[in-house]
Amino acid sequence: MLIYLYDGTFEGLLTAIYQAYYRREKPDSITTGSAMQTHLFGRTVQITTDSKKAEKVSQAVREKISPAALSNILFAFLSEQNEATTWVYHYLDLGWKMGKNVDLCLNHNPVLKILDLARKVKGERHRMLGLIRFRRLNLKYDIYYAPYKPDYNITGLVAPHFARRLADQNWIIHDTGRNLAALFNQKEWLLTEFQLDKIPSPAANEETYQKLWKNYFNSVTIKERYNPKLQKQNMPMKYWRYLIEKN
Amino acid sequence: MVFETNYKLVYLMKLEEKIQILADSAKYDVSCSSSGSTRKNKPGGIGNSNLGGICHSWTSDGRCISLLKILFSNDCCYNCVYCVNRMTNDVPRASFTPDELAELTINFYRRNYIEGLFLSSAVLKSPDYTMELLLRTVKKLREEYSFNGYIHLKAIPGADYRLIEEAGRLVDRISVNIELPTQDGLKRLAPQKKKESILGPMGFINSQILEESAAYKRRKKSRIFVPAGQTTQLMIGATPDHDLSILRLAEGLYNHYSLKRVYYSAYIPVATHPNLPALSGPPLLREHRLYQADWLLRFYGFSAGELLNETTPSFDTDIDPKCQWALSNLHLFPVEINKADYQMLLRVPGIGVRSAKRIYAARKVCPLNWESLSKIGVVLKRARFFITCRGKFFGESSMNESLIRENLVTKNKSAVKPAWEQLSLFSYLPGATKLPNDFSANITGEL
Repeated sequence: MLIYLYDGTFEGLLTAIYQAYYRREKPDSITTGSAMQTHLFGRTVQITTDSKKAEKVSQAVREKISPAALSNILFAFLSEQNEATTWVYHYLDLGWKMGKNVDLCLNHNPVLKILDLARKVKGERHRMLGLIRFRRLNLKYDIYYAPYKPDYNITGLVAPHFARRLADQNWIIHDTGRNLAALFNQKEWLLTEFQLDKIPSPAANEETYQKLWKNYFNSVTIKERYNPKLQKQNMPMKYWRYLIEKN
Repeated sequence: MVFETNYKLVYLMKLEEKIQILADSAKYDVSCSSSGSTRKNKPGGIGNSNLGGICHSWTSDGRCISLLKILFSNDCCYNCVYCVNRMTNDVPRASFTPDELAELTINFYRRNYIEGLFLSSAVLKSPDYTMELLLRTVKKLREEYSFNGYIHLKAIPGADYRLIEEAGRLVDRISVNIELPTQDGLKRLAPQKKKESILGPMGFINSQILEESAAYKRRKKSRIFVPAGQTTQLMIGATPDHDLSILRLAEGLYNHYSLKRVYYSAYIPVATHPNLPALSGPPLLREHRLYQADWLLRFYGFSAGELLNETTPSFDTDIDPKCQWALSNLHLFPVEINKADYQMLLRVPGIGVRSAKRIYAARKVCPLNWESLSKIGVVLKRARFFITCRGKFFGESSMNESLIRENLVTKNKSAVKPAWEQLSLFSYLPGATKLPNDFSANITGEL
């Protein structure tokens, strides 16, 4: 049993994959220290992240497989599922042989797993583009703050969308589960660790607009078509906590 | 004098009440998509649009909220029988001002509540007057607030084409609602509207789009006249029209007016009138079947004539339109999953566009058997009666219409309708209001 330990970053994962080929080894698992299960006869190898090696791997994926494969493994990686990283390794292993046709091999488990995880992450990202709610804060600077709690680590994926869309306001998108946030200052955004003990008080007209929005939300419901099951199917209850209209 | 005080009252009405009244009146418009446009944000501006559209919330009827769907005014001078805003209906009336509406849209947009604005209106005073007000609101948003988000505008039937043309350059999508699928229905339920006043603007918008697309190809300039195209809405169940005539109309609209979408709206009884049917509830299943058929027209290469004909002018309530088609064309089945072309795969009941694409991709690498089909995520509940995998049939029953039908129906328990319906004392049923002949005998007890 050969286990590669990496530091939990995407670059670290790509370095681990580089090392697997460089050292002519076939790791049974690529994982982070915290998620590792120790084995009696296992051998662990600590991988040191090297951005040059990572860049070489991502370049190779783009050229020898396809740009789509690179984004697939990134999405699968962001799902933060335990097995995802090992599946990435197996997916790429098949990818070197199949080239850009790797995504057609739907009856190979690694391909199916990676595509499935990528689809889930993309799906949650898309859903969150709609479900994130900004609140205007009462601070010295005009800042809009949006707390949310996604299943997958998608803050870095939703930020570019809002940087394009809400380009003339300062905003914070805060993943409260991971204590991560994307900050935007009308020019560029960055991803950083972020913690708030208490949400600052809202700006003067903020509550008026929240009330108007709730009012609108209730007014557009057609009572004759009442169908809460469908509502929950489209907008699962796990996301309701930060929705203005559901509180 | 009375009018003046009235007007002041309306003007002073709080924003909250206005939203309540005007959102409530707008909710029967089903269209809410925000797709089809790639408008980009400008430096210093706010907003852009997303090609696939984004839903922002879902109400407790399960429908999505994407755009701020609202009427400019519900103070209508028309008296269409089926409509909640008809002149003679006793409902509270309200109107926005362009400033109020623009401010509201921007503030909702900044908080990511909405994807843009869907602005419609009742006919206030005259079509031209209303259209001008709508145009002024849109202009304010685009020019003063430099808003680049999605705007869907309703063209008011009968408004001047120049106004529609100007609006078309500012918004992403325009729609004109047909509502009643036949001229006969129009005459009975909306006597002030003419077929020409509805189809005229649609034809005009289409010709403008075509003209611009030709210019777009020549000059490589981005198209600015309604980039997301036009749509319409048909009401289901307010007139005695069959599914066939509705579907034929939809097909014609797709083919000749190049519409992006036709929406179907189950008629919700908001009024009682001798010309309207008495319904116990909105015909939701019928609406659902029409949407299924609409998808078959747009994405599956079917034509209206294949799905329905004069002998069967309505869809089956127990099985979906594709199953209905397949059962009446059993000679084409079963198809071999490893050999059938893409168009034929799409016609197999239970196989949708995504499954067909997956099969098409996966079989290039290796032949598919039963296990690999379910592994790649193809749902075989209905498909198994119509396919073979490497020559093997898994349908259990033989290729017999009634046997397959039985299998398809009994699997679907939720479709079983209750055998009863809530009667209303004043239901407009022929004969229901007539007194029996021996009515007096019943009261007096005489024989």
